[in-house]
Amino acid sequence: MTHDLSFWTLQTLNALQLSMLLFLLSIGLTVIFGLMHFVNLAHGALYALGAYIAASVAATAGFWVAIVVAPIGVALVGVVLYGGLIQRMRKSGPMAQVLVTFGLIFALLDLTRIFWGDLALAMATPPALSGQVDLLGVSYPAYRLFIIALGAAILAALALALSRTQVGAMIRAGVDNDAMAACLGINVERLFFVVFCVGCALAGLAGAVAAPLLSVTPGMGLQILIPTLIVIVIGGLGSLKGAIAGSLIYGFVQTFGAVLAPQLASVLIYALLAAVLVIKPVGLFPAKG
Amino acid sequence: MLETRSLTKSFGAVHVTRAVSLKLERGERRVILGPNGAGKTTLFNLLVGELTPDSGSVHLAGEDVTALTVPRRARRGLSRSYQKNTLFDGLTVEENLALAAAVNTGHATRLWSDSLSRPEIRETLAEVAHQVNLMPYLHARVSEISYGVRRQLEVGVALATRPLVLLMDEPTSGVGPEMSKGFHELLNNLPRDLTLLIIEHDMDLAFDVADTITVLNYGEVVFDGLPDAARGSKLLKDIYLGSWEDA
Amino acid sequence: MFRHTPLRYAVLAILAIAALMQAFTAGYFGLEILIEILILCLLVLALDLVAGFGGMVSLCHGALMGVGAYAFVALNALAGLDPWLAALGAVAITAAVAWVIGAVCARSHGIYFIMATLAFGQMGYSYVFSAPLFGGDDGIGGIDRFDLTALGIDLSDSRTFALFCLAVLAAAYLFTVAILRSGLGRSLAGVMHNEKRMKALGLITWRVKADVFGLSGVIAGVAGVLAAQHIQFISPGLMNWTVSGEALVVVILGGLGTLVGPLVGAAAFVVMKHQLGEITTYWHLIVGVILIAVVMSRANGIFGWVEARWGARIERRLSDATRASTPKEVSTDA
Repeated sequence: MTHDLSFWTLQTLNALQLSMLLFLLSIGLTVIFGLMHFVNLAHGALYALGAYIAASVAATAGFWVAIVVAPIGVALVGVVLYGGLIQRMRKSGPMAQVLVTFGLIFALLDLTRIFWGDLALAMATPPALSGQVDLLGVSYPAYRLFIIALGAAILAALALALSRTQVGAMIRAGVDNDAMAACLGINVERLFFVVFCVGCALAGLAGAVAAPLLSVTPGMGLQILIPTLIVIVIGGLGSLKGAIAGSLIYGFVQTFGAVLAPQLASVLIYALLAAVLVIKPVGLFPAKG
Repeated sequence: MLETRSLTKSFGAVHVTRAVSLKLERGERRVILGPNGAGKTTLFNLLVGELTPDSGSVHLAGEDVTALTVPRRARRGLSRSYQKNTLFDGLTVEENLALAAAVNTGHATRLWSDSLSRPEIRETLAEVAHQVNLMPYLHARVSEISYGVRRQLEVGVALATRPLVLLMDEPTSGVGPEMSKGFHELLNNLPRDLTLLIIEHDMDLAFDVADTITVLNYGEVVFDGLPDAARGSKLLKDIYLGSWEDA
Repeated sequence: MFRHTPLRYAVLAILAIAALMQAFTAGYFGLEILIEILILCLLVLALDLVAGFGGMVSLCHGALMGVGAYAFVALNALAGLDPWLAALGAVAITAAVAWVIGAVCARSHGIYFIMATLAFGQMGYSYVFSAPLFGGDDGIGGIDRFDLTALGIDLSDSRTFALFCLAVLAAAYLFTVAILRSGLGRSLAGVMHNEKRMKALGLITWRVKADVFGLSGVIAGVAGVLAAQHIQFISPGLMNWTVSGEALVVVILGGLGTLVGPLVGAAAFVVMKHQLGEITTYWHLIVGVILIAVVMSRANGIFGWVEARWGARIERRLSDATRASTPKEVSTDA
């Protein structure tokens, strides 16, 4: 079978859109891990929470308010989690952390069910973005282009913040060697807190922008968790570069796999992950050698 | 028995081992001296394979083992003890020794037999326990014995693999002077055909037990010869004894 | 290194008696719950062997159980083999798959090991989910139970099947204890404690890990065969990572590295799930809060907590009692 140029353009855009969504989720998770050595499996649940908040807010105040409120709301939940759980679990081993956040998944899952019920919620795309855009001979939904642009903008902002600002330098120092960073007079605790909250806000933002594409259900957090984990493990824990590489690899393998080799598609990404771990047991671009 | 040919290793720009060539005969007891940071432990890590050299080779009993992994070298008769105890805390002294003794007999990977009850392992165990003075403590758990006895067990575990060459990384580190003396007796209990390479800080002990002495400084061999020659060497005094006496 | 204490013997005895009483007195629904517990017990036994005694925290054990179940279906329902032969083949396949996973993941540690096993598990899940051979999403039925009519035993009866599962679980428990007491089990303890040191002693540690992972696969495979025979229908949901996650939760809640604790945990988990499920649909919330509380309390699960708190006292009292009842004999319990 042959494919013309528009097919490739369309699929590339689809892959980019998936990659950017995963990037928003994985960057928070991976930097939190790199900095605090904390594995937060409940990151997916925060994404679901963001989607729920956005859907509720959008119904009364509209889309643009919703995608501002949702990240703030999720960040506030992050503040509570940090004070109540995360701070105390930081020194525990990875298994204890996996389990506590596994318990958190259970709890958050049911809490969203209690607040919003079992039925799926829908969120409309904003009128300004509901049309199609002609791009390189392909008619593509404007909303999906918006996600790509938003992801790219946040990627650029984070890259700049990490490389040019004082806080970014502190984060890089902390990922490299937190004991040393503390010796240099960096308030590590406050840095962790800020990074954790920003990570939560980005997860909430991802949920909010994903909501109009999917139906909002309690299980959406669990569904997105595995792809996010695959992204950060392929990319290597703790690095921006790893999160970008992992997101792009996942987005392209998944999208093109599904259209070019549908029989293999579902297994392909897992096989890739296994291969990466066999060859480089710590991922492609780990923060530490 | 054990030989290195211009073994070199660097971490980044720092050369931790520079073209180290050593040759130990069977039954030779050699002590490695050198100030902190001279690359003594790095040399051990290169010998057993925990580090890979940038260049040069390691030969054990005439065979080039440079490309072999840590366990493969150990199985050919190269064993080591560590400067910091690496014992199995929840287990008894006897179980610690049995764990090591079982590896070479193949019982360590067997499903149908308990290594601790095999006669050949019990024999090794008793012999090693006798050599390193652990007989009274066999059934005590590691957490219940004193630091000095743990140091003995650290050597005992390395010995229980029945090595041809035993590398000891500061066996008396952290123990008092009378224990150091006891350690001298311990060495005398070891079979004469066992080749020993010992990193030691206690100068008296070092000159007492050594057949030959190697001095490392900044990763380089700066002296290689008999203890008497080393004792009189000005070079050794300058780079090692000086710093040692200051400390 | 695994040691039986009087407390552990006592809890095992209580569990066995409770299971037997349940098997002989319960109605249909009670028997179904009992069988569910027994199969989960097999799975957590397999998981505790690798996670509790080898430090290999696996998130693919649910999938391994699924491999056992699907291999059994393939050999029995699709290839038409006798259930016994099919079961033997299925267990062998599961063990082989587990060995390979163990060998590949042996170099990874900590969170990477968890993720690597998760990847392998999800790979299997995605495969059966989309494989038309196994009915894909819809699952597959037509599975036979073992035929023991020659011995006058009818396994299609729930009570008999529950007793059969109990016997299999007892055998698996003894098998696990035997592994831990063997030379291989001792080496595994050494590897978990200090892998570098075991290498320096000449042990090829990845082989030890892979071998134990394979043996754990034997038990997971048996669990899979029984799970397939229990409902006589299987679907990909069996292989989803949440099954592995729940098994891990049970092991931790019960007491990692105690063997007995995870069995208690399995019983508690299934009973809690059904009891809470009757009262509220939000039972996940309660399980989640309990899980967080247990992990944050830093106790080694329920059983670990009991052992730490009362273990020594109970042990003393029990050994006093044995001495009092048999004054002439020398106590051999250490």
